[in-house]
Amino acid sequence: MERDIKMKHYQRNYTKPPLNRYSVWQYLVILISLIFMTLSALPNFYQDREALFISGKSSELQSIDATQIHHDLTKQGFRVELIDSNKNSSLILLKSDEQIVQAQEYLSRQLGTDFRVETTTKDTKPDWLRAISGEPIKLGLDLSGGVLFVLDVDGDKAFLERMHHIEQSTKSLLRENNIRGVQVTKSGQNKITVKSRPSLDLDVVVTEVRKQFPNLTVKYIDENKVSLFYSDIARSKFHQEIMQQSLTTMRGRIEELGITEAVVQRQGANRIRIELPGSKNPDEVRPIIGATASLEFYQLQARGGKLFESKAGEKVSVNPRVIFSGKHIKNAQAGRDELGMPLVNLTLDSLGGDKMLKFSSHNIGKPMVTVFSEYFQNAKGETEKNSKVISIATIQSQLGSRFSITNLPSPREAQELALLLRAGSLDAPITITKERTINATLGESNIENGLAALMLGVGITLVFMILWYRRLGLIANCALFLNLVCLLGLMSLLPGAVLTLPGIAGLVLTVGMAVDTNVLIFERIKEERKRGRTLSLAVEHGYKNAFATIFDANITTLLTAIILYSIGYGPVKGFAVTLGLGILTSMFTGVFISRALTNLFYANKNSSNRLGDAT
Amino acid sequence: MKEIVITTKFSSLTLTRYIGMYFSIAVLVVSLSGLFSKGLNLGIDFTGGFITEFSTSESIDQSDMQSILENTIEESFILSSGDDGTNWIVRQPDSSDGNTKQAWIDEMKEAPFFKANTIQIEALDSDYIGTQIGKELIDQGGLAMLTTLIIIMLYLSARFEWRFALGAILALFHDVIAVMGLFAWTQLEFNLTVLASLLAILGYSLNDSIIVADRIRELMRQNKDSTLRNIVNTAIGSTLTRTLITSGTTLATIVSLWWLAGAPLEGFSVALFAGILVGTYSSICISATFPELVGLDIDHYKVSLETENDLSVNP
Repeated sequence: MERDIKMKHYQRNYTKPPLNRYSVWQYLVILISLIFMTLSALPNFYQDREALFISGKSSELQSIDATQIHHDLTKQGFRVELIDSNKNSSLILLKSDEQIVQAQEYLSRQLGTDFRVETTTKDTKPDWLRAISGEPIKLGLDLSGGVLFVLDVDGDKAFLERMHHIEQSTKSLLRENNIRGVQVTKSGQNKITVKSRPSLDLDVVVTEVRKQFPNLTVKYIDENKVSLFYSDIARSKFHQEIMQQSLTTMRGRIEELGITEAVVQRQGANRIRIELPGSKNPDEVRPIIGATASLEFYQLQARGGKLFESKAGEKVSVNPRVIFSGKHIKNAQAGRDELGMPLVNLTLDSLGGDKMLKFSSHNIGKPMVTVFSEYFQNAKGETEKNSKVISIATIQSQLGSRFSITNLPSPREAQELALLLRAGSLDAPITITKERTINATLGESNIENGLAALMLGVGITLVFMILWYRRLGLIANCALFLNLVCLLGLMSLLPGAVLTLPGIAGLVLTVGMAVDTNVLIFERIKEERKRGRTLSLAVEHGYKNAFATIFDANITTLLTAIILYSIGYGPVKGFAVTLGLGILTSMFTGVFISRALTNLFYANKNSSNRLGDAT
Repeated sequence: MKEIVITTKFSSLTLTRYIGMYFSIAVLVVSLSGLFSKGLNLGIDFTGGFITEFSTSESIDQSDMQSILENTIEESFILSSGDDGTNWIVRQPDSSDGNTKQAWIDEMKEAPFFKANTIQIEALDSDYIGTQIGKELIDQGGLAMLTTLIIIMLYLSARFEWRFALGAILALFHDVIAVMGLFAWTQLEFNLTVLASLLAILGYSLNDSIIVADRIRELMRQNKDSTLRNIVNTAIGSTLTRTLITSGTTLATIVSLWWLAGAPLEGFSVALFAGILVGTYSSICISATFPELVGLDIDHYKVSLETENDLSVNP
């Protein structure tokens, strides 16, 4: 591979005699991508501002006196940036957004009940930029705050559901084994009693139930009476598992929604705390977070067993033993079949695949029932489980780990179902108990100091480069500046990229490392000059020789970034994005653009240009 | 004149490299003993802790609230606000005595600032809070690290030679462990931000190692008659300016972060500063010296070139 690259270089060198010249298309590529990146980066310089909006409560009120308000506010110590008044409303921007709430309180007191004083967000972008729908980088929880959700996980409901499931399974096992005359009753919340006529052997059934529910305690009261229950330890273990599952599922769903840098934590015994950055409209997020969806596959049964309702309202009875459940779903994608009907393609994990294979090979030609269950809150505020049969399909052939659910009503429903299935199922109902906005964890002064630090760091680097490399340093600085622009632009384009304070620091670190590319090249050029090469030859060889090194170093780091992105989570993922993009842009600007600049302004001048001597 | 300077430098550079190698072994021992004896002071991101919510009847500036709480809460805490400065959340690391968690709220109500402005405070909620990083994420993270290391090892072995690859990986381990050791000994808080800086160090360390290794490879191909020791020294000598410039400019940025950005980025700056320092010397003393110790020979390059040729002839 190494030699491949060199070969290409030699070819380029010797088939195109003029040194240090790019063809027109190369300059065009540079120009177009720079314009594109600059346009994407621009919205970041017009951040949304908090503003006060004053309007009269009735239309006949006269307008507000802007100069008077300006005077009053300044007297109270508010620094006013802009007052935009028209006939019956005014918009006020303060120099510092932190004062806006105090100013709002002051003005509502001052203006009395005839006026409404509200806070709004003002988009400061110029119209033409809004027209090309440029969006700034999304900021993380520490820089801009976001929304908080606290969810209640109803572990008790899940436990009841589990006990019910055990009862149903026991009954169906008895039927399968042709054991009659056995009573299965639920006694209390936590116990199932199995009572049989004398001289009947319950052992077969009990062993099977135990196999299906390993944590269940089985106690023989006498020969004909068995009670099944969960010990306190087993029950608390069940609760821990439910909480763990809910946490994992919530993290999965948030990731599916494309939100990185969110915080998902367990709070207390049965709550989950979710903080999402930005999210000005929680309405989009709420249904996905709050949904408790699970998918189960059953075998159709003539009578008895578990009853479900189909969409048409018919009763469907199934064998209560689940063939496999949603937790075995590894991947789910919405799609369309040959007739254009929406469907969801499922991929199961190996365990689910085995179960499906075993079941389907024994039951070709028989129907399989897909049940979608969801918890919801009824009018009284209680959670209820709503299960719906979404399809009854005949098994046409042996099925493995890949198959699909067909006949979904709309592509949108297929999309949502796929998302929920991908993100994992929830056994316990979840309700959103708290929802509120949260402010940035870092104060405005922290952010300003952070930015000032970065300016200083970049400033030192720029000055050093000029002092050390003179004119080449100027080129490196141009490349560095363009690198920042490209990085900002790329990060604004990516929907998943979220900027946090450590992210900004990481960004500058990548910029600091981007200088490395130019340093490597320029040191090479110096070496070549010392060997007595002419300036243009030295430039040519310097770029060529340094490239192999730059390539190796950057590819390795890029590999690291890709792996961190694909396996990591949250902050690690965010860091990987910054790192990866930083490498791409620094290769582009440090090698490609700085070469172009060198060609244009430096290498082909026949004057007595000398490289800055490092003395 | 230049030639003479270099030849006299060689022996002292070799000596420096070997001393540096033993020094880094000492650093590793010290770091590991710190990690095992004292352990990391894990932040609330990793350990979980207590969360207390309260509301104030009027909107208060976050910096004012911060200073009031600093007077009432003795241990470390993280303050955040919601609903335009009327809703407050305090996170505290988990400590053995759960009782003291509540005490500060009553104490805080008595603060002169609230009395003077007649601000009422209402305690809303107090709860245990779990970690930000679930067990499955730690497993995932470990898996990510392992995969990364294996892929880097494979890539470098293919591009260079397995001895270089191992040297680079050792240097990488050294850098990460040294920084973690520093955090263990100083008991500075190790949180998610510091973890991010460890990842940055990982990239930086690799970058440094590869640049030196690349120059060694190049020189080995050019001067087949020279000794390996001379080649390594020449390679280090000719990349030294670059190493110093890059480390210098990066360190300058980090120092200004440390100086100006203050507390929120302190751990981050400390970790990066230490990481880049050790990364710079480990690229010379470990990743360039280790291959020599395990028997890298100039012939290896010829051999590997020939096998490469064979491979390319017979696909």
